[in-house]
Amino acid sequence: MRVLIVIPAFNEEQALSGLLAEIRALTPAEVGAEIDTVVVDDGSADRTADVARAGGARVLRLCRNLGIGGAVQSGLRLAHREGYDFAIQCDGDGQHPPSELKALVASGLAEPAPDLVIGTRYVDKHNFRSTLLRRLGSWWLRTILRIVTRLKLSDPTSGFRLYGRRALQLFDSVYPYDFPEPEALAIAKASGLSIKEVRVTMRPRQGGTSSIAGFSTIYYMLKVTIAVVLTYVRALGRGPTSGEDENGS
Amino acid sequence: MGAEQLAENYWMFGVAALVIALVLLRLLFRERITLQGSMSFLAFLTLLGLMAIFSGVTQRIAVALGFTLMSNFFFSTAIAALAILHLRALVTLSKVHLRSIALTQELALLQEKLDRLSAEKR
Repeated sequence: MRVLIVIPAFNEEQALSGLLAEIRALTPAEVGAEIDTVVVDDGSADRTADVARAGGARVLRLCRNLGIGGAVQSGLRLAHREGYDFAIQCDGDGQHPPSELKALVASGLAEPAPDLVIGTRYVDKHNFRSTLLRRLGSWWLRTILRIVTRLKLSDPTSGFRLYGRRALQLFDSVYPYDFPEPEALAIAKASGLSIKEVRVTMRPRQGGTSSIAGFSTIYYMLKVTIAVVLTYVRALGRGPTSGEDENGS
Repeated sequence: MGAEQLAENYWMFGVAALVIALVLLRLLFRERITLQGSMSFLAFLTLLGLMAIFSGVTQRIAVALGFTLMSNFFFSTAIAALAILHLRALVTLSKVHLRSIALTQELALLQEKLDRLSAEKR
């Protein structure tokens, strides 16, 4: 069982070395799979790529900033093309503790095997709480996703996710670029992928700043609301994803 | 005021279209824009120029469409054409943007592969 941990990173030199050290410290027995790590340096201006290499990770260096969606898709493409069984998306700011990788892998291996596993921070009341505005935003997106796609999730904005082979195949060809998490769920649902949530502990970011703050939160909500509806209808038109791998890998 | 007299007043639209067409041609000669991308714009300017030159015909069309002022017909035509041109540009821009993202990703994937092969060779 091979898992590729995909870490999208934009100017994350501060938090990255600690995160990679934590991942390196994990044994395959602890995680339940062999793990490789790739850091997708999203056109950083700091030493993110150097820190990632020094931390023993593979590095995909994007020559310009594509945003979180473009960075994540690069990592998922690598996982799909190299035949990994799973890819796990893990933020480069240290919010997603590597100790929780085991929970995601275990959920991915459970029967019936889900195609997409979302690590949720909201099931446990003692877990790290984000700001009120973010929680409000998360509530709104939960509601939109439930109305449009009939998908019931507690944390649709969580970027701590495990992608199975079918999800990797789907997202190799189509993945949203701006604020992608809720949109990706709508695409997955419309394409017939099975989605599951698992409770994880999250922690405050260990460095860097969030790209969503202040007025951009309002833009985020508006844009994602429209995008969820559009992508769901568009993905429904494409039909369900087959289990066959187009690349034959 | 007769229809022909009214039509004579609209040669300025033709001059404006000609000036913009000349600017467009200059950009084309300097290879700042491509001929393929400018063809629809040139077609629109030609249409506007012809409307101004043959203002008698334009006047009859404007009246038939219910316009009481021919200037309103000119502006409406120009706004509609610009909206179409803008939409076309938006489609092209979006395609270029998506291709640029895909190319950036492929470049990063190939670079990583190359780095790995070089490291293995060493």
